[in-house]
Amino acid sequence: MNKRWLRRLNFPLIMAALAIIFISLLVIGSATHANAPSGQRFFFVERQGIFAILNIALAVFLMNFDYKMLERYGKQLYIINLVFLLAVMLFGHSALGAQRWIQIGPITIQPSEFAKLIMIVSLASLLQDKVGKLNTLRDLAPVALFVAVPFLLVLKQPDLGTSLVFLAIFFGMIFACGVNLKILGGFFLAAVAASPILWHFLKDYQKMRILVFLDPNVDPLGSGYHIIQSKIAIGSGMIFGKGLFSGPQSQLNFLPENHTDFIFAVVGEEMGFIGATVLLLLYLVILWQGIKIARGASDTFGMLLAVGITSMLAFHILVNVGMTAGIMPVTGIPLPLMSYGVSSLTTNIMSIAILVNIHMKKQKLLF
Amino acid sequence: MEPNAGNDFDIRLRVLSGLVVFIIAVLIARVGYLQVYEGEYYQKRAEGNRIRLIPTMAPRGTFYDRNGQNIVMNRPGFTVSLLPLTAPIKPEVVARLSTLLNVPEKDIQEKIENHVGFEPIRIKTDIGPDILTIIEEQKELYPGVVIEVQAVRNYLYKDEAAHVLGYVSEISDEELERKKDEGYKSGDIVGKFGLERIYDKELRGTNGGRQVEVDVTGKPVQILGEKPPVSGCDLVLTIDWDLQTATEKAVDDQLARMADQGVRAAAAVVMNPQTGEVLAMVSRPAFDPNLFVHGISESNWKKINEDPNYPLDNKAITGEYPPGSTFKIVTGTAALAEGVTTPYEQIYDSGEYMDKGNASGEVLGWLDFVSGLAHSDNVYFYVLGHRLGIDRLEKYARMFGLGKKTGINLPYESEGLVANRAYKEKVFDEDWYVPETLDAAIGQGFNLVTPLQAAMVISEVATNGKRYQPYLVQRIVGPDGKTVKEYHPNLLSTLDVSDDVLSLVQAGLHDVTTFGTAAGTFADFPVSIAGKTGTAENPHGADHGWFVAYGPFDNPNIVVAVIVENGGFASMSAVPIGRSILEAAFGLNKPQPSSNVQTSTASANQQDEQFESYAQDASEEVTNETPVKQNDEAKGANEGMATPAASTDTANAKANGTGNQNQKPSP
Repeated sequence: MNKRWLRRLNFPLIMAALAIIFISLLVIGSATHANAPSGQRFFFVERQGIFAILNIALAVFLMNFDYKMLERYGKQLYIINLVFLLAVMLFGHSALGAQRWIQIGPITIQPSEFAKLIMIVSLASLLQDKVGKLNTLRDLAPVALFVAVPFLLVLKQPDLGTSLVFLAIFFGMIFACGVNLKILGGFFLAAVAASPILWHFLKDYQKMRILVFLDPNVDPLGSGYHIIQSKIAIGSGMIFGKGLFSGPQSQLNFLPENHTDFIFAVVGEEMGFIGATVLLLLYLVILWQGIKIARGASDTFGMLLAVGITSMLAFHILVNVGMTAGIMPVTGIPLPLMSYGVSSLTTNIMSIAILVNIHMKKQKLLF
Repeated sequence: MEPNAGNDFDIRLRVLSGLVVFIIAVLIARVGYLQVYEGEYYQKRAEGNRIRLIPTMAPRGTFYDRNGQNIVMNRPGFTVSLLPLTAPIKPEVVARLSTLLNVPEKDIQEKIENHVGFEPIRIKTDIGPDILTIIEEQKELYPGVVIEVQAVRNYLYKDEAAHVLGYVSEISDEELERKKDEGYKSGDIVGKFGLERIYDKELRGTNGGRQVEVDVTGKPVQILGEKPPVSGCDLVLTIDWDLQTATEKAVDDQLARMADQGVRAAAAVVMNPQTGEVLAMVSRPAFDPNLFVHGISESNWKKINEDPNYPLDNKAITGEYPPGSTFKIVTGTAALAEGVTTPYEQIYDSGEYMDKGNASGEVLGWLDFVSGLAHSDNVYFYVLGHRLGIDRLEKYARMFGLGKKTGINLPYESEGLVANRAYKEKVFDEDWYVPETLDAAIGQGFNLVTPLQAAMVISEVATNGKRYQPYLVQRIVGPDGKTVKEYHPNLLSTLDVSDDVLSLVQAGLHDVTTFGTAAGTFADFPVSIAGKTGTAENPHGADHGWFVAYGPFDNPNIVVAVIVENGGFASMSAVPIGRSILEAAFGLNKPQPSSNVQTSTASANQQDEQFESYAQDASEEVTNETPVKQNDEAKGANEGMATPAASTDTANAKANGTGNQNQKPSP
């Protein structure tokens, strides 16, 4: 029994995820030890490590359940999600100009992180009997509305980055669901056409981020500073890197947010092109396995779930690494399994666990 | 192989697989480009040379008076800051700094812990040269401690015009929350009061910054890039600083004389009625805006905040007082315009009307309009008020602009209050009674005005009904010396009253200063003026003394409004201030230009003649336009005598004046 259980695991996926978590602990330690108050040198690593272990243990325990039971709770999860997002709006702590956190005891949680995964589950449950039936705008309208409500709530926080993740999930899943490609194309065109209007609604600092992305020298001392410093950090890592704990850009605190949103720049500086490539290839393993699991899923719900999770992870990786490397605008979304942050870590480990679960159920069917 | 391979959906999933490979490939390519292709370049930028950002504050715009005299400037001040570059600040350094600066260790520690970002942690602003020398000379004892030079606001004349200029201070958390989108940052110095507050956006300029290369130990090596700060715009005020100083002195001298009566609060406004330009504005008690510049000390704040006379209130625009007899200008104008009396009608003052008497129990007998106004006879105005009724009184008060803000460019302006039925109904839930109309007619009861509104009322009389918006800023001048914005007189409204009526009111107000209630102070005044006193009953304490005036009578360019809180009789409190201000406004307070004592008498006489002709012109003008011919000729004659050259005749003039009015020919 035990052996068969083990054999059904998806080893490439699990190994890649564990390897990334391991790298993340090293890099968070390197990024934070120098600037933390003495006595708290390894505060962040310890915290992230403890939560990683707790989450992995939880994930192993959850293997005893079947992901298919999630399908029945689609509606309830959706409503809980909205309640949490509203709670952030009403009682949330604001930090760095956005209201994203709720304090529960000693832990501050960021419901918009969990919201992404919950969204995937409830959307998969909604879409599973609509496969091949998304041919007209009329078919698609309720689905779009379903996503639009949490999307707008997150946008209001304001958290542009996370709200865009919702869009990525939406597009990924309806694409897999067989949506009429003309409609999908129409959506894109509409989004492009609406962007000047959307521009109007952006806050000044958001507009600045986009302008700075187009040309960092617009504001080299303000918003452009992050991008310039991050590019210097990555570039100066060259092929072999400066070695862990010895990247001057990261260690001297030139890089802001170096253990959270800009952690990839520390990887680039301290582990060089080789380290960065290894990390990106590990991500490729996860994404590739994600789609593979979708293709092999025993039911539509599982297929949609896997596609949703993979879309989310892929979008995160693209936008976060793209941002630190200066090819994407600065939006505060974390790098999955790498960035420091309990909410993000939990969400990502649970996502991987669900992928593994879907994979296991497929095997069971075959034997 | 896969269960649903081959169908349309599987193709789509394969497309997604391709997409994720593409994404990772793009990212690897980009990182490779940065690290391999451009690696050398970034290596150079990073190696040995690291970039730090040091913000530079933009100098705040300064203030000039209308003649270009500097009033508010910036001076360099030294700030002690911490810059933890390579290592955290050592506890022994914090302890040493704490003793040196007399700042509790706990506070410094707290600032270090709460600090995020790259800006230096400011510990103490504006330190003296002694501390500066110690830190500079013993640098090795203070690693991580830096001295920054920052501009410190400097109000050159301390509490003079403090209420107009306002003050600056560090931005508060709630202001920051409100103004974050406008580019305000924590630690910014912003205008909190007065013009500093209203024109903060123009004054503050744009902060700059320097990109500084530092070596491994964090020492600056060279400046890489610099975004120079853009200075704020300067303000050129309408204030005439000499007149402002004279007004301050006039108020202070009078308050000093009345100090034993516990009189401490007063306000004065000087304006040009033809434009609305405010030439001087004073409020007492005052405060020194310099105290606020880097956080007011607790003891100073206590002193200001607990003063029962509220030094932070600009009483000239915020103080609301019963207008008292100055309101008779409104009642008189209304009565003539509405035809409830004629210039010739004589009303008998028996000393009381409907159980309400005169202020000092005097009985003046038969009075016509001009003499009723000149003597400020309550019974006369009770009769006019009764005939008009409260609704018409309200209409004219509002026409003069009372009961609403004048729109001056200062914060916290009060609206005042015009006595009316609706107000009483709303607040007291009672009907209107006739005695309240009588109270309103003499500026008591519910009526409340600010000193600025009082100045506006007399301005409108002076300009034959034109109401210009009062303003304090002439021009905003950019850092390049070019005028960014220019302010011009703004005509708000014109009184819907004929010139004949206003001429009569002017004549009455002129007589106030020749044989009426202010004649004691102004009988020998060389410039012909018009004015009105008021002794306003105050339910909370002693009466307030009012004086409003304009001059020169035939071509007015100066208007004055003065109130002395709890000053008692106007002639003993507000009128002397008014005289000193008018002397300064007409240049009479300066010694005559000639140095020779012998000729000085002659020139003084010449000047007197000149002013006599002024008076003559004025009386002719009035004569031509109004039906009260005889009366005005008599007045002209009085004026001729009421000069210093004929000071012995002053008493006669007064006597004549009084006699004149008793023998008034009936229409």
